[in-house]
This record gives sequence, structure tokens and C-alpha cells, in this order.
Amino acid sequence: MAEPLLSVEDLKVHFFTRDGVVRAVDGVDFAVNRGETLGIVGESGSGKTVSSLALLRLVPPPARTVGGRVVFEGTDLLTLPTKALGTIRGRRIAMVFQNPATSLNPIYSIGSQLGEILLWHEPITRAEAEARVISLLTLVGITDPAARLRQYPHELSGGMKQRVGIARALLCNPSLVLADEPTTALDVTIQAQILDLLADLRRRLGMAMVLVTHDMGVVARMADRITVMYAGRVCETADAATIFRAPQHPYTRALLDSMPRIDHRYTGGARQVLPTIPGRPPNLLDPPAGCRFHPRCPDAIADCRRILPLETEIAPGHTVSCIRRGSQGIAA
Amino acid sequence: MTEALLEVRNLSKHYPVLKRGILLQRKAAEIRAVDDVSFSIQPGETLGLVGESGCGKTTTARAILNLVTPSAGSVRFAGQDIVPVFRGSDRRAQLAIRRSLQYVFQDPYLSLNPRWTIGETLREPLRVHLADQQSAWQARIDTLLEMVGLEPHHAWRYPHEFSGGQRQRVGVARALAVEPRLLILDEPVSSLDISVRAQILNLLVELQDRLGLTYLYISHDLSSVRFISTHVAVMYLGKLVEIAPVDTLFATPGHHYTRALLSAIPVPDPGAASTRIALQGEVPSAMNRPPGCPFHPRCAAALPVCSREEPPLTAFGPGHRLACHNPA
Amino acid sequence: MHGTLPPKPPGIWRQGWYRFRRNRGGMLGLILVALVVLVALTCFVAAPYDPNDQSAMLRGASRQGPSALHWLGTDRMGYDVLSRVLYGAPTALAVGLGAMAIASVIGVIIGGIAGYVGGLVDECLMRFAEFFMVIPVFIVILAVVRLFGIMVVGTWMERVPHLNLMTIIALLGLFGWPPVARMARAEFLRLKHAEFVEAAICIGTTRRDILARHILPNALPSLIVLVALGIGGAILAETMVSFLGFGDPKAISWGQLLYFNYESLKVAPWGSVAPGVAIFVTVLGFNLLADGLTDAFNPRLRQ
Repeated sequence: MAEPLLSVEDLKVHFFTRDGVVRAVDGVDFAVNRGETLGIVGESGSGKTVSSLALLRLVPPPARTVGGRVVFEGTDLLTLPTKALGTIRGRRIAMVFQNPATSLNPIYSIGSQLGEILLWHEPITRAEAEARVISLLTLVGITDPAARLRQYPHELSGGMKQRVGIARALLCNPSLVLADEPTTALDVTIQAQILDLLADLRRRLGMAMVLVTHDMGVVARMADRITVMYAGRVCETADAATIFRAPQHPYTRALLDSMPRIDHRYTGGARQVLPTIPGRPPNLLDPPAGCRFHPRCPDAIADCRRILPLETEIAPGHTVSCIRRGSQGIAA
Repeated sequence: MTEALLEVRNLSKHYPVLKRGILLQRKAAEIRAVDDVSFSIQPGETLGLVGESGCGKTTTARAILNLVTPSAGSVRFAGQDIVPVFRGSDRRAQLAIRRSLQYVFQDPYLSLNPRWTIGETLREPLRVHLADQQSAWQARIDTLLEMVGLEPHHAWRYPHEFSGGQRQRVGVARALAVEPRLLILDEPVSSLDISVRAQILNLLVELQDRLGLTYLYISHDLSSVRFISTHVAVMYLGKLVEIAPVDTLFATPGHHYTRALLSAIPVPDPGAASTRIALQGEVPSAMNRPPGCPFHPRCAAALPVCSREEPPLTAFGPGHRLACHNPA
Repeated sequence: MHGTLPPKPPGIWRQGWYRFRRNRGGMLGLILVALVVLVALTCFVAAPYDPNDQSAMLRGASRQGPSALHWLGTDRMGYDVLSRVLYGAPTALAVGLGAMAIASVIGVIIGGIAGYVGGLVDECLMRFAEFFMVIPVFIVILAVVRLFGIMVVGTWMERVPHLNLMTIIALLGLFGWPPVARMARAEFLRLKHAEFVEAAICIGTTRRDILARHILPNALPSLIVLVALGIGGAILAETMVSFLGFGDPKAISWGQLLYFNYESLKVAPWGSVAPGVAIFVTVLGFNLLADGLTDAFNPRLRQ
């Protein structure tokens, strides 16, 4: 099998707060192949966003990446000198942010903030840069791009701003795009437009994408493979069909079951009850010993309290970290 | 047919757009946040009110509760028009309505006074409505906490010590304190995590059955609407465009906007047949709403008449009404 | 359920105190302010000499450097510098607290009404506040103090103790309210639309209860920060007025000590340095305290 484009091994990001060390990301592994979309799903506090920020060493204090490797095209980004990282960040790996309203600088016009990035990264002239910005704005479906160049972010609607955000990510032909909740701030019909755009661009440009979201529907539509995170650790990674049709980890199953579905009838006969996950996510200042999901898990046995499950391949391309599903583990 | 518990007739809320002068302001335009909206809810039912941001669904709820004064129209609660009651100064009559009509807010972080313990928060409605039964307050607070799945000692805690889901339970308990008949739920689960969302939705359903409540459930999340509602109303740019029993609406939506909205929801099933209706463009600002049908500039089935005449809300099937010149 | 109830958790004020305690600058400010308050309360017994005792001059011992007899030396008029500086503390606190008390009451009422009622009332009140903000307070104070001092001569008001000082306090308060009003307006406006206030309206809570129980308590922390900052400002302002010689001749204030002694700065620097340090410590104390309070009560900085 070919070397993956990006592989993350045993990534650990801890928040050093006054109350103690919050282990927000605690030994996370995943990999992204060329041209593939990996969806990282999880609830708030699962560590999905922090993991994606850690890839480019963007975790804000008091958080610090305390361990692991992030190998991108053969180099470990975590040990790379800052200057060398600068040639990768924004260029080989680009980011699309959640909130299009705040991710664009309000005091620069669209043309100048996109143009500056190009001029910074590449030895081209102003005219060339402008031509490239116009072609990218056309690519992301912005009508009359030449006129938009002179507009400011506040003159654009939310959907348009997110299109500009995507164009900015694509400026330097990245081979990997990190998209953190790219559609959460948008209305449903606009969300659909942006998702279609991202899927279409990925096909046409052949880039890989890491899509971080809490929305199972979004990953179902977009992702080739899915990584499910819970409380700073990976529960399960598999191709999208497997995650949705034959999930193995109890958390994945419970999560899918607990979502109301628009393609499901709930009326008629007795009132239906959604299956729920009892309790709530753990406090990561003091996470449960063993498997972090065990206090809420319907399948938990005594060993789950003691043994920290490790991601283990149970079928080709399908890894699970649950000792009840045959994962290996280390005793605490 | 029984009498509707809540009947909203031709409700409108228009905001003037003011231009600021030196001292005085003058009206430059008008935003029709809610325009001529009519619907009714039978006792024990749940009406889901859906739409995208800015469609006027929250303003409708706020106008019903007189948090904003309606510009026109009537709101009949149990047969009584409550708009003039709130305009008047009969505090007793107002309190009687407040008591049976309660609101649960979207954001449980903002809707609880941060300086009050949960007990103090729950005591407020009792102080207002049951001032003469002070001895019964504590028992009532304990019952309320138990009812929403919290424990009596939680009354001593402050909101910031709770998770989002627990706070929303407190919000529900506060609304239930004075035994209302109708609960307006404004996006009660959208700020919560998926696993907690299901818990709160189940709680709402359970309470409805147990206490015989009627709900107006406002949300942009159609899957939770499908779960909790018996009827669904869809709003677009301040207009009600379609209203129908829940299964009818999800199975055979008549309005092209409803169809597009339903098809835009990402289904958590990777193989789901993609029969999406892609909508062109974005929702126009409510300040310059298109003439005729507000949806016509984005509608694939628009006829010439759509840009001239506003379609009235007309019967389309049993309990199914929609506002479209060229329904699907 | 478990047998024991968990202990009553801390409220907002106590939480604020926990955060405040961890803030070094804020704690230093609190200590400095506490020191000034302590001095103000005890100076009447703690001061080694009567502040009006000029007997050193008779002995020819004015402008003497620090000694066992006079710890901070004597100034050019034979006063004991330490005693005078200690007696300056109650004056400074009276000025700071008095002026800000007046400013807070006016500011909260005007700003609160403007924010809560809104509309035209808001416009008018805020223009009124701006009018007060553009007036050069200092010149007005100097003029009024001088005029008033002349006007009261020969009337019963002449016998009111510290009339001059009280005039300065009143004027500082009357011109110091606009910042408080602006803050109060912003807070009331924000809280008026806060969801928990709307929840209270839905419940049917009266307007008076909403103002007194929901809005005002939630507006207090930001206002307290501003008032703490204002106290330092007022003390500094009174110092400047006194330094220019417009202060109350019968009150002992640090500004006045500077005014009396700056001419002998070269021969008897202790006479100027001591009150200077006192001013510095007090104003710094209140400013650090205000900073600490901002951190403690600003929820955005919470982790």
C-alpha cells in the first residue's frame, strides 16, 4: 500500500490550566491518503478541533502538543523548524475555517487579502496574482469575480464569504485541505451549496481533505473514511459505509442511534423514544481510567475500567479501540 | 373538532429601519420580519415551526408572548385574544396568560441569571404566581427538579457549574414551574451535543405525555422537528409557506422551498440516493423582499405570475395548506 | 442519592474573589489600598505629632532631615512631615470615595434610565453626558472654588468646616459621572435584552424586580471596576487642585503639602518626596485594584 499523504501517530495535546492538565488529545492516530476525504467526527470536547490545529502547530496556549508525530509527505511537522513549516502551512496544507465572518480580515478587500498570500508564497507579479485570484474565485462559483476583488468582507453574504475562504485555501494548490466545521455557521440550503462545492473541487483538483465536524450527515455525504473521536481518543476508523452500516464501537453505535432522522416516521402508535447515551462526556482533567467511554457504555465489563484499549485493525481498513471487539489494550 | 389552544391569525411584526438624524430618527424602510402569519395548534399537539435564520420564526414566538408587540393580527389563547390584554394594564389578566404560556430559550447559557442558584431561578415564577403559598415552594422546586431529571441538591448550584444539557433541563423546569398549558420551545436542543440532544428530546416528549402539554417547537433542525412534531409549518422571509401534518410534509412536500429544504439536509447514510434540489443563490434580506412570492427568484418552478402576485395560503390536502402558484 | 449533600458551591462574588486572589497585581493593589485605609483610620492616634504643631520652627529645627525625633524630617514651616502625610490619608480617601459616590449615583441613575428606556430618552441623556464630558473640569473647579470662597465670606457658611474641600468633592462628583453613566447604559442595554431578563418577563416578573434583582446585580461588577479606577482619578485631581493652591487651607492634603514644599525641594527634598510617594502608592493601589477586579469579573478571560 502506498505511503499515506499525512499520518498522525500518538498525537498528544494537553491544556495546562490552573486547575491541572486537561488531556484534550491523548494518543490519537489517523492517516489521510492522497485524494481522500477523512471525516473526523465527535462531540464538543472530543478533541477533534484541537487535533486538526495541532497538525499545523496552531494550538493556542495554554495548550501544548506534548507528544506524537505528524508525518506529511515524509517530514515530521512537529519537529520541523518554524521557517520550514511556513512553506507548508497555507501552501501544501491549507485551512478552511468555521466562521467565514471572522476568518477574513475586515479591513482588506477580497482581492488584496488573497493576492498578498500568493505574493508571499510565490515569485509572481501582481498582475499574475490577480489573474490567479480571479480564476480561483470563478472556480468556487463566485459570479463577477473581477468586481468582487474590490469588495470588502462585510459586503458579502455568509455563503459568499465561505466561498472566498475556500478560494483562499486553494490559492497555492495545496495537497491537503483542513476544513473545521466549514458549514456549521451557515443555513441549511447554503450549507448544501458549500458541501457540493467542496466535493466538486476535491474531485477536480485531486486534493485530500480532513473534514472536522459534529454532523454525521455532513460526513456521510462527504467523507471516504471516518474517524470517530470521544474524549480525546479515537474510537473507530473505517470507510464511511462501514461506520454507518456496521459500526463496531459502542460509542459510534450509540451516537448514530441517538440522532433523530428525517427519513424516519415517528408518529403512529405509541410515542417513540430515542435511544440515548446516559450521562455526559467526562471531565478531561480527570478522565476515567481504562476506556474513557466505559462509564456510559452499555457493553462495559469490569476489564474496561482497567484496560486502555488501543486501536486495533479488526478488518482490512477498519480499526476499533474496544476490548469487547477484540482490540488490544494496556492495563492501567 | 376541538377548539384550538393557540390560534394565530394574520400576525405581523414590522420593524422600521431608522436613519439616524442629529437627535431624532426617521423611518427609511420597513423590515417585515413576520408577515400575515396564521396557524393554530390543538391541545396536546406539537407544531414544529421551521425555517432558515432570519425567516421570522423566533419573532413569531416573541410576538405571541408579547416580548415584541405585534404590529397587526390576533393571538387567541384558549379562545381569548391576548394581544389587547398585554396592551392593557390589567396585571391580573396578564399574569393569568403568562402562567399558562411559557417559553424555553435556545441558549441555556444565556437564559439563566448567572448570579442566582438554580433554586432561586426556580423560585422566581413561584414568587410571582403563587405568592400566597410560600410554604409549598420548596416541595414544588424538588418536584420540578425531579421531573426534569435533576436532583434536589442541584437547587444550591449556580448555572456555570452545569453542562449545557443540565442547564436546558433547568430552563424547562422553570417554564413548567407554574403548570403552563402551552410551551414555546425556541431551538431548545440546537446548542447541545448530539448525545445530550436525544436526552432532552426524550424528556420533552415524556413531559408532554405526562402533563398533557401543547408545544410550539421552533427549530432549523428538521430531524428533531420530525421526531417531536405532529404538525410542521415552514416559514420563508417572514411568510408561512406551508403547513401540514408531519408525515405528510416530509413525504409529500408541496412548496418548492420545503422540498429544497428537505433535500438539503445531509442524511447520515452514505448511500442515500442524492435527489437533491440545489437552490440557486441565497436568502434575500428581509429589507428588500422580492415582490410576489418571496421565493420566486430562487425557485426552479417559478411562473411569470409568481413575481407579480403573492400566493395565498390555500388548502392542498387534508390539513395541508401551502402558498404556491405552481405546487409540486 | 447519597446521604450527604455536597457543600454549597461558591457564588459569583466568591468565584470572583478566587480569581482575584490569584492575580498578583490585583492583590498588591488591595494591600496598598488596605494600607491607606488603615492609615486613614489610625492616623489620629498613630501620628507622632499634631499635624498643626509648628513648634520645631521655634526651635529653629525646620527643614531638618529625618531623625529619631522626626522620622521623615520637618518641612520648611516646621511641621513633622510624617504626621502631615499620615493625616493626608483620610482627606484623600474622603475625596476619592466622596466624589465617586456622587458620580456613581448620578451615573447609574442616568445611564440606567438611558439604557433601559432607550429611544429618545437615551439620545437626550447621552448628549447631556457628552456635554459634561467636553467641559474642562479642571478650570471649572478652580474658578468655582475661588468664586465660592469669596462668596461665602461673611455668611454662616463660612463656619462650615472644610467647606472648600467639600466643594471640590462635590464638583469632582458632578463632573465625574459621565463615564459611569456610559458604562451603566451599556450594561443595562445589554442586560435588557439578555435572555434571562426575557425569561423573567415571560414569567410575569414586575419591572421593578427585573431592574433590582436581575439587571442591577449583573451590571455591578463592571461598574465597581470603573468606580475603583475613578477613585484614583479623583484623588489625583484633588491633588492637582491643591498643588495649584486652590485647595482647602484647613484640610491637610498631599497636594497641598507638595504646594507648600516644592520651593524647598533642593534643601529639604523629604518634604515633597513623602507626600509624592503617598499619592503614588494610593493611586497605584486603586488602579491595580481596578485591574484585578476587571480580570476577576470579566467572564471572557475565564478558563
